[in-house]
Amino acid sequence: MCRDTENQFSAASGGCSDATIADVRGLVIRFGDFTAVDGLTFEVRRGEIFGFLGPNGAGKTTTMRAITTIQRPTSGTVLIDGHDASSDYIEARKRIGIAQQHISLDKDLTVRQNIRHRAILHKIPRSELDSRIDSAAHLLGLEDYMDRTVGSLSGGWKRRAAIVCAIVHEPELLLLDEPTAGLDTRSRHILWDLVRDLNARGTTIFLTTHYIEEAESLCDRVAIIDHGRMVAIGTVDELRDMIGGVAVDSNPDGRTETRYFRGMDDARAYASSLGDAYVSIRRTTLEDVFLELTGEGRGRFE
Amino acid sequence: MRLLSIIDEAYRVAWGDLVYIRDNIAEVLITSLVGPLLYLLAFGFGIGGSVSSDPDAYLAFIVPGIVALTTLSATFSTVAMKVLVQRLFYMSFDELLLCPVHISAIVLGKCATGIVRALLSCTLLIVVGHLISPEVSLQPLAILVVVMAALTFSLMGMLVGMFMEKSQHLNLFTSLVIIPMTFLCGTLFNVEALPSVASWVVYALPLTHVSELMRGIMLDTCIPMDSVAILAVYLAVFFAACWWMIKTNRC
Ligand SMILES: Nc1ncnc2c1ncn2[C@@H]1O[C@H](COP(=O)(O)OP(=O)(O)O)[C@@H](O)[C@H]1O
Ligand SMILES: [Mg+2]
Repeated sequence: MCRDTENQFSAASGGCSDATIADVRGLVIRFGDFTAVDGLTFEVRRGEIFGFLGPNGAGKTTTMRAITTIQRPTSGTVLIDGHDASSDYIEARKRIGIAQQHISLDKDLTVRQNIRHRAILHKIPRSELDSRIDSAAHLLGLEDYMDRTVGSLSGGWKRRAAIVCAIVHEPELLLLDEPTAGLDTRSRHILWDLVRDLNARGTTIFLTTHYIEEAESLCDRVAIIDHGRMVAIGTVDELRDMIGGVAVDSNPDGRTETRYFRGMDDARAYASSLGDAYVSIRRTTLEDVFLELTGEGRGRFE
Repeated sequence: MRLLSIIDEAYRVAWGDLVYIRDNIAEVLITSLVGPLLYLLAFGFGIGGSVSSDPDAYLAFIVPGIVALTTLSATFSTVAMKVLVQRLFYMSFDELLLCPVHISAIVLGKCATGIVRALLSCTLLIVVGHLISPEVSLQPLAILVVVMAALTFSLMGMLVGMFMEKSQHLNLFTSLVIIPMTFLCGTLFNVEALPSVASWVVYALPLTHVSELMRGIMLDTCIPMDSVAILAVYLAVFFAACWWMIKTNRC
């Protein structure tokens, strides 16, 4: 793990290894004069839950759309299992499923019809259609909602229906763009369990989120993204260690000041040196990491 | 081989829209048939009967014309609206672009709704036309022209549906282009009756050639090959434009 991602990959360069399902290099995406994605290089490893954490407008969705082949990069390459997303897009698409940020189901059709359409588009043999649809629906507990029209479902159920559509062809890489945005806490936890379950069955997951908690509790590795650039990438612990795993908040003159320490002893020593000021010692969060590394003020994730 | 796989994929793309037609067949039939049958009633019997010196000849003249205008009215708005809604409101159009199918298959598949609607209404109109006007003959070739015209106008609908950012723009396009075409392109009266400049403009429009072809086939006169060629050019241009819009990420 290191902050300079270019170095990281020049060290491990040379094609797409077996351990890599998605390989993104030097990805740049511009809309007119505006650069939404500004030179991202990273890989998604087979079997992991990989997360993109960043505030709204960071470029998460745009990057994901480039991985799914629907957004053409201005420059840079995306390889899916060794297949170029721009030139060899049919092979790339066979390996990917995505549940987009905005639910993208056909609201004129029922849940079952939506799923069936997706299965047909992915050329699942006729004889397997019903069993595949049923087992994918079963995984997400959607059985009772299959014959309702999409418009009649609540947000959480729509989200699940979209995920079933994304997994019915059994993709190797499942992309979830803000899978829990707008869901209540309970639905969010149910969805996290479903994601872990899918991952345990062998599907690699790449999700985006602007919830710190979600990245921390769900992801094996996290890339922190801001203004289309990579701020840092690594496991949650590695990211914390970049600034120090223990945070000490103090409140000397009414505003919060935070300092980070590698070990508890240093943190305690610092805390006691502050004397009377209100002090709390806690674990560093990914929000601290984001704020430290970008030098931004608090509140961008709210 | 490639052609077969594109046709297979086009069916896969069309599946959702075809299921919608199957599940809502009454609505589909009513919306695609009421208009043409009213034209037949109003122009064929109403105006034709009271104004024309030879009502039977006028009826034989406008039956192919109404079949022709139906290949436009049954296709364009439905396909344009479907694409626009699926693209901007349901966002399900994106999902097609994510599937492992050829771009040509997406373009053809999205036209299926239009072709099915046009076939349903035009076949019925041809049969009704034959029953009320003995000069109108039943020709399988007419169905081929219906398919070709329906494909052309569906492609035009798809193009407009991919291009527009608001449904109001679609309404504007319909008022300014589609409605005038419906009435002026040799459907209800002879293009030669127009002032010469106007008749040149009208001659350049695709629906005029569908009218000419339908009349030639259904009334057993000659089949104007230049109309076949002009229609084929429109079809090819609309197809290429749709393909290019998807290929270059413009929708
Ligand atoms: N099609 C587009 N045209 C112009 N700007 C866009 C387009 N798509 C995204 N953007 C801009 O790119 C930036 C990144 O957007 P996005 O990838 O959706 O961010 P995120 O998903 O991280 O919230 C935003 O500022 C957004 O306004
Ligand atoms: Mg987003």
